Amino acid sequence: MVGEEKLRRSASFDPEFKWEVSARPGGEHLKTCFACGVCTAGCPVAEIDPAYNPRRIIRMVILGMRQQVLSSEMIWLCSTCYTCYAHCPQDVRFTEIMKVLREMAVEEGYVHSSFLECISRVDRLSESLRRQMLMEILPHRGEGVEIEERDLLTRALRNLEDR
Amino acid sequence: MAEAARVPVGAVMVVGGGIAGLQAALDLAESGFYVYLVERSPSIGGMMARLDKTFPTNDCAMCILSPKLVECGRHLNIEVLTHSELVDLRGQPGDFTAVVRTAPRYVDPEKCTGCGDCEKECPVRVPNEYEGYLSQRRAIYRPFPQAFPNAYSIEKSSVPLCQAACPSGVHAQGYVALLAAGKYREAVALIKRDTPFPAICGRVCNHPCEANCKRGLVDEPVAIAALKRFLGDWEAATGEPIVPDPAPPNGKKVAVVGGGPAGLSCAFYLALRGYGVTVYEAAERPGGMMVLGIPAYRLPREVLDTEIEALRRLGVEIRCGVRVGEDITVEDLRRAGYDAYYLAVGAHGAARLGIPGEHLEGVISGVEFLRRVNLGQPVAVGERVAVIGGGNVAMDAARSALRLGAREVWVLYRRSRNEMPAAPWEREAAEAEGVRFEYLIAPLEVLGGDRVVGLRCQRMRLGAPDASGRRRPEPIPGQQLEMPFDTVIQAVGQAPHFAQLASSFGVPVDSRGWMKADVLTGATEVPGVFAGGDAVTGPRTLIEAIAAGKRAAESIHRYLEGRDLHEGRQLDPVPLVVGEVPRGIPRAPRARMPELPVAERVRSFAEVDRGLDEEAARAEAARCLACGVCASCYECERVCRAEAVRHQDRERVREIRVGAVVLCPGFDVLDARGLEEYGLGKYPDVVTSVQFERILSASGPYEGHVRRPSDGRVPRRIAFVQCVGSRDVRRGRTYCSAVCCMYAIKEAVIAKEHVGDLETTIFYMDMRAYGKDFEQYYRRAREEYGVRFVPAKVQRVTQGADGSLKVRFAPEEGEVTEEEFDLVVLSVGMAPEEGARRLAERLGIQLDEDGFPVSPGRDPVATSRPGVFVCGPFAGPKDIPETVVEASAAAAAAGAILAPARGQLVREKEYPPERPVEHDPPRIGVFVCHCGINIGGVVDVPQVAEYARSLPGVVYAEHNLYTCSQDTQQRIKELIAEYALNRVVVASCSPRTHEALFQETIREAGLNPHLFQMANIRDQCSWVHMAQPEQATAKAKDLVRMAVARAALLRPLREVSVPVTPSVLVIGGGPAGMTAALEVARQGFEVHLVEQRAELGGHLRQLGWTADGSDAEELCRHLVREVESNARIRVYLNSQVGRVEGFVGNFRSLIRDHRGHTREVEHGAIIVATGAVPASTDEYLCGSHPRVITQLELERRLRAGELDARRVVFIGCVGSREEGRPYCSRVCCIQTVKCALKLLEGDGRREVYLLYRDVRTYGLHEEAYRRARERGMVCIRYQEGSKPEVRAEEDALLVRCYDPILGHSIELEADLVVLGTGLDPAPGNRQLAQLLKVPLNQDGFFLEAHVKLRPVDFATDGVFVAGTAHAPKLLPEVIAQAKAAAARAVTVVSRTHIRAGGVVTTVNEARCTGCGTCESICQFGAIKVDPERQVARVEPALCKGCGACVAGCRCGAATLQGFTEEQIMAEVAAL
Repeated sequence: MVGEEKLRRSASFDPEFKWEVSARPGGEHLKTCFACGVCTAGCPVAEIDPAYNPRRIIRMVILGMRQQVLSSEMIWLCSTCYTCYAHCPQDVRFTEIMKVLREMAVEEGYVHSSFLECISRVDRLSESLRRQMLMEILPHRGEGVEIEERDLLTRALRNLEDR
Repeated sequence: MAEAARVPVGAVMVVGGGIAGLQAALDLAESGFYVYLVERSPSIGGMMARLDKTFPTNDCAMCILSPKLVECGRHLNIEVLTHSELVDLRGQPGDFTAVVRTAPRYVDPEKCTGCGDCEKECPVRVPNEYEGYLSQRRAIYRPFPQAFPNAYSIEKSSVPLCQAACPSGVHAQGYVALLAAGKYREAVALIKRDTPFPAICGRVCNHPCEANCKRGLVDEPVAIAALKRFLGDWEAATGEPIVPDPAPPNGKKVAVVGGGPAGLSCAFYLALRGYGVTVYEAAERPGGMMVLGIPAYRLPREVLDTEIEALRRLGVEIRCGVRVGEDITVEDLRRAGYDAYYLAVGAHGAARLGIPGEHLEGVISGVEFLRRVNLGQPVAVGERVAVIGGGNVAMDAARSALRLGAREVWVLYRRSRNEMPAAPWEREAAEAEGVRFEYLIAPLEVLGGDRVVGLRCQRMRLGAPDASGRRRPEPIPGQQLEMPFDTVIQAVGQAPHFAQLASSFGVPVDSRGWMKADVLTGATEVPGVFAGGDAVTGPRTLIEAIAAGKRAAESIHRYLEGRDLHEGRQLDPVPLVVGEVPRGIPRAPRARMPELPVAERVRSFAEVDRGLDEEAARAEAARCLACGVCASCYECERVCRAEAVRHQDRERVREIRVGAVVLCPGFDVLDARGLEEYGLGKYPDVVTSVQFERILSASGPYEGHVRRPSDGRVPRRIAFVQCVGSRDVRRGRTYCSAVCCMYAIKEAVIAKEHVGDLETTIFYMDMRAYGKDFEQYYRRAREEYGVRFVPAKVQRVTQGADGSLKVRFAPEEGEVTEEEFDLVVLSVGMAPEEGARRLAERLGIQLDEDGFPVSPGRDPVATSRPGVFVCGPFAGPKDIPETVVEASAAAAAAGAILAPARGQLVREKEYPPERPVEHDPPRIGVFVCHCGINIGGVVDVPQVAEYARSLPGVVYAEHNLYTCSQDTQQRIKELIAEYALNRVVVASCSPRTHEALFQETIREAGLNPHLFQMANIRDQCSWVHMAQPEQATAKAKDLVRMAVARAALLRPLREVSVPVTPSVLVIGGGPAGMTAALEVARQGFEVHLVEQRAELGGHLRQLGWTADGSDAEELCRHLVREVESNARIRVYLNSQVGRVEGFVGNFRSLIRDHRGHTREVEHGAIIVATGAVPASTDEYLCGSHPRVITQLELERRLRAGELDARRVVFIGCVGSREEGRPYCSRVCCIQTVKCALKLLEGDGRREVYLLYRDVRTYGLHEEAYRRARERGMVCIRYQEGSKPEVRAEEDALLVRCYDPILGHSIELEADLVVLGTGLDPAPGNRQLAQLLKVPLNQDGFFLEAHVKLRPVDFATDGVFVAGTAHAPKLLPEVIAQAKAAAARAVTVVSRTHIRAGGVVTTVNEARCTGCGTCESICQFGAIKVDPERQVARVEPALCKGCGACVAGCRCGAATLQGFTEEQIMAEVAAL
């Protein structure tokens, strides 16, 4: 965030934003967040990319930083593992909120709708890829399996192409 | 008189014996009501008894609790019912009938001395719940050393499952436990209560105990039979049978017909009772089926003979080879003069298949075959033997045939393997030895001419189930076969063979030929003739026969004593309580006996199973899970010298009449095992805060050394995880548990005191240090102790490979972090007590969704059922002082409805007349206290006691684990009598907490209470010289020597009795004062209520709403109306108290109004309720900008409807928690949330921001905070060092603050800024404090006598405090405290007299010059110079015994009694 302006003025906030998010299915519990950080501490994406911070995203939504949130690439990084969801003491359901924010980003023209389509294809592909990789090693589950990930990926991709 | 019926019952039931129950009980009992204190556990004391230290003063919880326990326990008008539960409540307020169920304690508390001998002998070890399961205790136990009653208690969860499964009720868990403890002799004796044959049963019993064993649910059942066999063999090896001494011969004779297990057992138990018993046995040797049916390879003959021989030694005559009815007639027996008969002749007839060829040579019945084999009679066995049948007899016959040389033995069974009745282990052994099994086959005909040559058989299959539930075999048409055999053994059942005998005794038989007798008692139709065993039941197991014999012995005994045969006996199986299967038990396979190799087995009748050796047996016994807890081994009973153990105790139900009920059953801690991410139960070094309290405690499992449970190492880094199960809407409780923040700080601080270089980190969300002096404690923890505070909720705890615990969290700024710790403490929250919840439902008490009672109106202690009150954490999470306040408030509430019955049921204490000892030479007794390890861990206490014995005047000295415990008090009294002691010295702790207790004790022993002296060897020796045990011991000796020297010169002091003025002065007319006044008046006493302003109401007049959102104005009007209309309350408006004279029970005060008019009033007690004032500030433009206002102003505008702001920014902690006002004002956060909710009501979308340091919406107020967020309140934390800034720019008001989550500053435009400014102490406090001679704390609020246990008292007797004069608090808390103060004041004014004097000044008039110095010195006005005689006179009731006058007296005329010059000099000279 170096170089960014360090002061946010409430004039640029949209107080309606939090109400809009919480009016959508999945966003209902947004506002009860008390910023404990459990979502962030358990997030596998945050572990890889510390700039990704679920607690901060919620805070930005609550403050009404509509433009910053919806234009941010952060809302696309969630891996939908539901760890945050499972551990949240206030039942905020961050994973669902991310889905709401993505929808809004499309609706409000921050991204092209094909991008969302693209993302869901990437999601489906990664699911299939995982399945293919599993199918490769499943037959050996009774043995001591050693894998070379790159090799496994190549084989899985080939299987996908063959289908 | 009709009115008489309306007088309520002058007794109250208090349910729950924690600190709340103790306080409520004491207040009520001191106010003239009789109290039943009902406690579910074995001791009163509750959770507080488990705590180490208390915040914020770091007092030892047990040290301050223990005197209360004793006071309550010994109070004449408090009846403590432990192990008890209130189960039903009928009637109405003033006249309830309470039904109380008392579970058995199994120890008579009246007889038990608490000596602990039983505990040492008890072989059962179970996890100790008191110690947080970090250590073990015995089944007979006392929860903690200071417990009241100081009696042991036995925990029995049910009859152990093994014992319940045994037909004879053999105490299997008991002997297994004794075996594990190495107590073999006791184990054998225990077995013999229920069977005379341990070695036999250990070998051949079918052991249903094992099938029932709870260990089987973990891995495999305990090898109970093998253990019993070990014990039986051990007994045999001693060469002396172990039997109890029989009763002396009673001259009566019993004949037992049949020497099998039933007959011999009956004979054994009759012989023990003193009967002369003769057993008539038809066979040549005794034993019945044990010898005739069971082959020697299973039961060696010498084992049998040894155990039967034991009967002969008991005097039982066994006549073998005598057939009753043939060799001797029934008439012969009758002539021999037997008083009763027991027929136990067994079932020795053989059932037949009824197929052709059965008569052929080579066909024999199994029963007959085994009899011949076992008696060593010739029996021909061919090459190929068929055994028909699938029972144990078939197995025995087959295996015996093999041993007799048969080449092939076949077992033919008509059903499948699954239906076979033989014990699986028998079948497996037969298989191993080479017996061949053919299933689903039925013989149709024995083939042969005159000798057997084979069998023609039918193939079978299984059809539909028959009556026995087994599938009925049916022939498969056309499938028949012939098999060659030369011997056929028919083992298809046993039959009666005793028709003749039965009829000659006149005993009828049933259609199948079995004798008719009552199965329970064994009684037949014929008086005096009893029958049992197989002869009555048909063939059954060995242990059933033994059980029948044992029961018959009881019946015959009863019959011959002319008693009822059935009373108290039943055959119905004991209900089995399997309970939870304990977790975390390491799997361990059961022990197996070595066996003789098969090759050796089949050639001889040598015993197959070779038994367990001692080591294996003890290890196996240790696998027992002790499912019944108490094993019923009766060791405690054996060793108890007081004969206090009562294993036969039963539950009792009592109906008790009371006028009111106070419920304070306490709370449960949340079971954090459900929150798996924290690893409780998975990692041993993750503990709960309750466990950590025990780890810190000197009396805890590690004796006060801070260690990790896993390896005993001293931790270097400890993490505290806050909000475990609290403030969690999904997996715990939505509310805040109110106490965890403070106890975590305390635990961190104390832990650091224990371990020098310890690092402690507290992970929290909001640090809720909201109580009086809490914030300062929090600051000290941070700044002085270096406790680290991290504002983050822990996401999970995992364990690394090296055993360290990794704590993962996201700090507000910076990256997600994982830190390593050695120990993790989970601050678990409070949950409503489970049993209490059920109780509330039974009593019709309405609960809210969290499980807390709904309090109607604004009464914090009322419930939905009139006459039933609540207090303590059951009414909502809270800490100790608030609990104590509520307890007193509940006492006030109960007292208000029972006032007409005051004194109705109470008893007065009578002391024995005082022994005149004034002129006797001193005979001093010295008691030196270990105080657990508090003293004893440092000071060599036995050495100090030994030393004391050598001091002049000392005739007795001893040391005690706890000199203050109930049993030691009793002991001191006994020793005073035994040694004619006339002075007592206790070397223990502080006289401040314990002197009164010991004085009371010696008073009960007939000594003047002032003949007592204390030496404080805890505070002054063991505590301050912890690292120098030798010097500490030397100093302790010095202190004892000084105390003894002084004690020798002590003189009895007299007290005077002064009448009490039954009225109360209440200073302050706000909500606290009004409530207190009303409560005192309701209890029937006069009140003078003084208010300095022109109207009542105080601070309440400025509030719009109370914290729960209800109308404050309405409440104020209501209170004022009630006060003004109460005839017992006299209100003085525009008035102040000008002068206060006198002392507890007898005050005289001057009330002055604004016109200068004065009036003197007399009263017995004073309640200070002068309130606090809202703080003002000039920070954040307050006062200079119209749109920066305080909370009160916001409330005023809201109520007036003058608010048009859309964007509102609240700032918390304005001027609070910092220099100048270091305390937290407690109410501001909750007020903010309350106002925010009002602002966010409706649909006009306001923007509301809260800039906070910590949001302290403690306890159930958390819900309002959650609701405010839900409705849109945006909350941003700021740090003490970077406060928000407010500035005005043209017409804009801008608030700037740094948001740590965002990592930016933000600037909020506001229409209104609202400041939470807190409360200041009332300006008049200092003056009033001087007037009343009571202290203020450093902040200027009134300082109570003790922050934990005397929250509304002052050190000065008869003066009490309530409301915000004490500290900032919310309205319901103010009301509770006002009621509490009223209750405490009533304990004074409800008395007719007060004793005064004792330690007071006297003046030697001959020496006094009347100079008046003393008069000017005495701040209590207790000394005045008599103008006529010119000598000083002391008013003893006013004298506080401070001694200032003595120091000031120039002529040495003044002497303080109990502190005379000569006493002090003796003390000093002794040093």
